[in-house]
Amino acid sequence: MSKNLAKSSLLLLFLGLASAPILKAQNIDAIRAEIEALKNSYESRIKNLETKISVIKNQPQQQKTGTKSKATSIRNVKNNSFNPSIGIVLNGKISDYSNATSEMAGFGVAHEGERGREGLAIGETELNFSANADNRFYGSMTAAIVREDGSDKIELEEAYVETLPGLGLPGGLRVKAGRAFWSLGYLNEIHAHSDDFSDRPLPYRAYLNKGYNDDGVQVSVVLPTDRYLEVGTGLFRGDDFPFGSSTSGRSAHSAFVRTGGDVGNNTSWRLGASTLIGTTDGRKSNEDTVTFVGDSNLYAVDARVILKPSGNAKARELILQGEYFRRDEDGQYSDTENSASNVNFNDTSAGFYAQAVLKTSPSWRIGARYSKLSPADVPSGLVGTALDGAGHDPVTYSVMTDWTSSEYGRLRLQYNREEFATNDHDNQVVLQYVVSLGAHGAHPF
Amino acid sequence: MSSRNKLKRERHLATVTLVILTLWSGSAFANLKIFACEPEWGALAKEIAGSKAGIYVATGPDQDAHYIRARPSLIAKIRRANLVFCTGASLEAGWLPLLLQRGAQAAVQPGKPGNIMAADFVNTIEKPLVLDRSLGDIHPEGNPHVHLDPRNIIILAKILSKRLSIIDPSNSAYYQKRTNSFVKGWNKLIIGWNKRLNRLKGQRVAVHHRSWSYLLSWSGLREAAMLEEKPGIPPSARHLNNVLKGVKADRTMAILRTSFDDPQPSQWLMKKTGIPAIVLPFSVSREPVEGNLARLFNNILKKLENIAAKR
Repeated sequence: MSKNLAKSSLLLLFLGLASAPILKAQNIDAIRAEIEALKNSYESRIKNLETKISVIKNQPQQQKTGTKSKATSIRNVKNNSFNPSIGIVLNGKISDYSNATSEMAGFGVAHEGERGREGLAIGETELNFSANADNRFYGSMTAAIVREDGSDKIELEEAYVETLPGLGLPGGLRVKAGRAFWSLGYLNEIHAHSDDFSDRPLPYRAYLNKGYNDDGVQVSVVLPTDRYLEVGTGLFRGDDFPFGSSTSGRSAHSAFVRTGGDVGNNTSWRLGASTLIGTTDGRKSNEDTVTFVGDSNLYAVDARVILKPSGNAKARELILQGEYFRRDEDGQYSDTENSASNVNFNDTSAGFYAQAVLKTSPSWRIGARYSKLSPADVPSGLVGTALDGAGHDPVTYSVMTDWTSSEYGRLRLQYNREEFATNDHDNQVVLQYVVSLGAHGAHPF
Repeated sequence: MSSRNKLKRERHLATVTLVILTLWSGSAFANLKIFACEPEWGALAKEIAGSKAGIYVATGPDQDAHYIRARPSLIAKIRRANLVFCTGASLEAGWLPLLLQRGAQAAVQPGKPGNIMAADFVNTIEKPLVLDRSLGDIHPEGNPHVHLDPRNIIILAKILSKRLSIIDPSNSAYYQKRTNSFVKGWNKLIIGWNKRLNRLKGQRVAVHHRSWSYLLSWSGLREAAMLEEKPGIPPSARHLNNVLKGVKADRTMAILRTSFDDPQPSQWLMKKTGIPAIVLPFSVSREPVEGNLARLFNNILKKLENIAAKR
């Protein structure tokens, strides 16, 4: 085609050059008209060719997409076993509080244990990466982006490696090392975004600053018994609340035992007991005004019962859950705001919560929770300080309802009445969303 | 006592405890233990392993295996299992990985002879072209409910037999013999069922969830509509209205659901159209019994035949 085109243009040129002097006398206009006609005819032919080319060009493209979709349908996507699973948790709240302040009488509470920010605020944005490193080890990292003191900070919540059964440790031993929410009570191991309420119950806020995730190592084993029985022990650095400023770098340790089983086809239960024992060289709380130095020992029992009327977790389910904590402390408290310094303290406080959550339909749940703390009696040196409960036991009454869009999305409305000090209460209303993207951990019991 | 001393003492105590536990756990093996995630695999294991294995079935026929919690009793059971027999294709993604990681032995981990995921051995259907969670609870590996095509049962019987022979070679001949006779009997049953299918072939059914896709593809029944707009997401009123507009009452034989699906959408559609809404048995009893799998297919066919006969 292009050859023809070249030939005709040459001819045209030749005609134009060669015939010009001979046909001088002829009507130039006639020649012009002829050229114009030729031009037009060629132009239209070129145009036709161009359309043909574009049609042909488009055809293989269509075929290409056709084969592509076929390939996709054959592609056998199992999971991204060679890449870490990635999960992101987004959550946000709008909170309304009736009281300007909220201080738990009788307890030194750190930042995470305080109530959240009022108004519109996002909660922790969690980023999780996890994967089996090989057949012997599993690794996981969770970083939370949080708002603290007016700026966004990255907090490393978890970064641990855990042995897999493939390592073949004797008796099914599991070792977990790094930083993690360690086995303690029920809620400690669970990330706050999968809680049934928008805030942690009082004992977790007062005793663990929401959760204990120190650096350390934990060994556990599920015993080969017919009834579930798991025991474990851990050794920790002692830098995370309820400890802090560890000089030895191994100043806390834990032990736990758990059992559980089924009653008939429709009821399951779990019971646990755990300890967290250690020494702190300086635990700061109440915005660094309160410091504790000494031994801080925490003992916990936890119970959880799930009743499933249809034996089917998706449809209806009633979850009863409670935990009791007791803390023995032997050391010295200081409260710079109330000019108490190194006051000897040796006493016990306690706290518990009990909650019930009923799934009424696959998407709706309602729940109620009561939690209470009993502060220790303070020695005369601490009277009038933040650690003086003045005979009042902080309590919180909570009710919530939430709507589950899927496993990955939840919207929750919660009301709390907090009575933290004598003649003082705070009515709180919280509307919260929790949405997770990507990989999603298995449902814990 | 200083806290440092106390710490030391408790650490010693923990070490001693763990050593004792380790010694004790080493000797806790008895006979072969099979952990089946769903009752159909428990029943198949019973056919092949007979009296040589103890079989524990994690879920019942009235439970949706998508939504099971990794409860303590399951951790204890999988801890002692020599063989884990499940559906796979992400059906148990919400609980099985946790159980395997928490309790199970190395020999039943994925890729080991003691780990059988049924969907890995059969041709799965309905593989999604696009993976996006806005499309509902989708399974990248395809529809996981593979047990309702009886031809798949034969494939898995043979796989199970091979695996049992690897794990428990001393009883290899026993497993082989049982497998041969089971497969022989099952093939005969399929021939019989195929004859009964002639009456059903080409009939259209609406389904609540795509629990029946393998049954449909084997039997020649055709899916007229799905009540869930997207898998795993409860049917919306808007979608049900669309289904109502699209479904042809005179050409649709039944609305199928399992005993664990929400009955309301099918019943609503039945009221509006007159198409009978029926609960088909989805699996066998939790207690593994020989012959139950055959009875499952007989019962399904009987129910469908009854509906077809009334038309």
